[in-house]
Amino acid sequence: MTATDTAAPARTPALPIPPRPRQVAARAAATIVTIVVLVSFWGLDLEWSKIAQLPQDLVHYGRLMFSDPDWSMLPEAALQTWRSVSMAWIGAIAGVVLSTLLGIPAAHGVGPAWVRFPLRWSFAVIRAVPDVLIAIIILTVTGLTPFTGALALAIGGIGTHAKWTYETIEAVPPGTAEAVRASGGSLWEVVRWGLWPVAAPELMSLALYRFEINVRTSAILGLIGVGGIGAMLTQYTQHREWDVVGVLIIVVVVVTMLIDAVSGKVRRRIMEGATVRDVERKH
Amino acid sequence: MTVHTPASAPETQGQLMIPPRPRTWPKALGVTAVLAALTILTTIPAIGGVEIDLASIARNWTNGVDRIVQMLTPDWSILPRTWQPMLETLQMAIVGAAISAGLAVPLSMWAARPTNPNGVTRRAVRFVLNVVRAVPDLVYATVLVAMVGVGTLPGVVTLVLFDIGIVVKLVSEAIDSADAHYMEAGRAAGGTQTQINRVTALPQTWPVFASQVLYSLELNVRISAILGLVGAGGIGRLIDEMRGFYRYDALGTIILEILVVVLLIEWASNVLRKRLR
Repeated sequence: MTATDTAAPARTPALPIPPRPRQVAARAAATIVTIVVLVSFWGLDLEWSKIAQLPQDLVHYGRLMFSDPDWSMLPEAALQTWRSVSMAWIGAIAGVVLSTLLGIPAAHGVGPAWVRFPLRWSFAVIRAVPDVLIAIIILTVTGLTPFTGALALAIGGIGTHAKWTYETIEAVPPGTAEAVRASGGSLWEVVRWGLWPVAAPELMSLALYRFEINVRTSAILGLIGVGGIGAMLTQYTQHREWDVVGVLIIVVVVVTMLIDAVSGKVRRRIMEGATVRDVERKH
Repeated sequence: MTVHTPASAPETQGQLMIPPRPRTWPKALGVTAVLAALTILTTIPAIGGVEIDLASIARNWTNGVDRIVQMLTPDWSILPRTWQPMLETLQMAIVGAAISAGLAVPLSMWAARPTNPNGVTRRAVRFVLNVVRAVPDLVYATVLVAMVGVGTLPGVVTLVLFDIGIVVKLVSEAIDSADAHYMEAGRAAGGTQTQINRVTALPQTWPVFASQVLYSLELNVRISAILGLVGAGGIGRLIDEMRGFYRYDALGTIILEILVVVLLIEWASNVLRKRLR
């Protein structure tokens, strides 16, 4: 101990290398994960010949689909795309209105506990049911129509969207709501003037995001027969008309990316517009 | 304005100036008009819109309620038949997440600015991934089933494509916004880009990466539950079969089972994620 006092000045230039930390837990976790993955892999009963052939298949079918797409199907594809987008839009509007009406009472500080918890549980239940199954139930009511798709998107959307709504409302800083309450505002006035103006930009942005998600989901719902681009895609895939399938995939990708881009721009504008207004108010 | 002249200040102190109401109606009108126009355009059946048929709801709503009531009285006798497909679903989810995790490491390094200063390759990787993300999961599954035949292989490939899109996007965004100090230190010490990525960026993003992979595993369980509807393996195959026989009570059991498995996976991955921080 005392010897180090004299030795210390001589040692300062060379920094001691700290010992490598022993990562026993990390090693154990990595081993367990590896074993689980390997067991799942062997359990899956994948056919190795098919895996080996997969790259070759992808190139083969890729060439069939995209080397000479059948562009004469474009008008029909555009019509069906609009049908899918329509389902997504109607589904988003109905879903967002329902989620807002149900989500706000489910927020802490707005609804009493006996309203809040049943609502939250029902959102959780809806979240657990795949959209496709919701559509399967609804088609017994409205048949195999695009309207079924829109309704399925609206009801399926409540699960996540109402959750986002009450989370957004709960994230509002309590100041404005307290101010309204302090000046004698009723619960309705607290929501209307204390919470809504603060949460609105975020909620609008989430509503547009819901539309973006619905555009993807509506193509999936088409697969069970409610119409739109998904239905057309299934049909031509089953008939193995690959040149048409190529056109449809191109249309889906272009439309989805276009809608994402426009909606993303609007969302950024909504969120940034809100901060600019805040800055102006301070001056 | 009056604040600058102290003499007039006491006068205005008694009554607060009410600021003029901001003129928001032109903007509100514009937004409402756009929303209304889109809604009208999407409800014209002739151009592909949705025909809103509220009468059919009034007429047939009992059908839907019957189905829901049937689902709420689950038929437990189906349970033994669900184990094998459910196991398959879980295996597909795990294998899909694992393969995509392996592929996502180099791809997210390519797609982030600090780890790939070359703008051309970075944009190329990002563009390809945007295209991959734009195709819905079940569309991949449908096309792949037609290509390689019914089975778990198209399902796993679908999950891999879907996961790569999400994980690479989120991880590369995390690298973009992460503190670049370690990487600068690596560059100052004379490391090549690969060495810098290996020694600084990789350990730094490891927790984000692991947490996103866990998230993709959760999504995989949800998705692979329905992949079977188009013939891509898993419990969806059983759902399709039961739906064909109108066995809604059995469907209720299967949905409940999926719910339990999803909740368990979410719980496990939450526990793991807390340990990662």
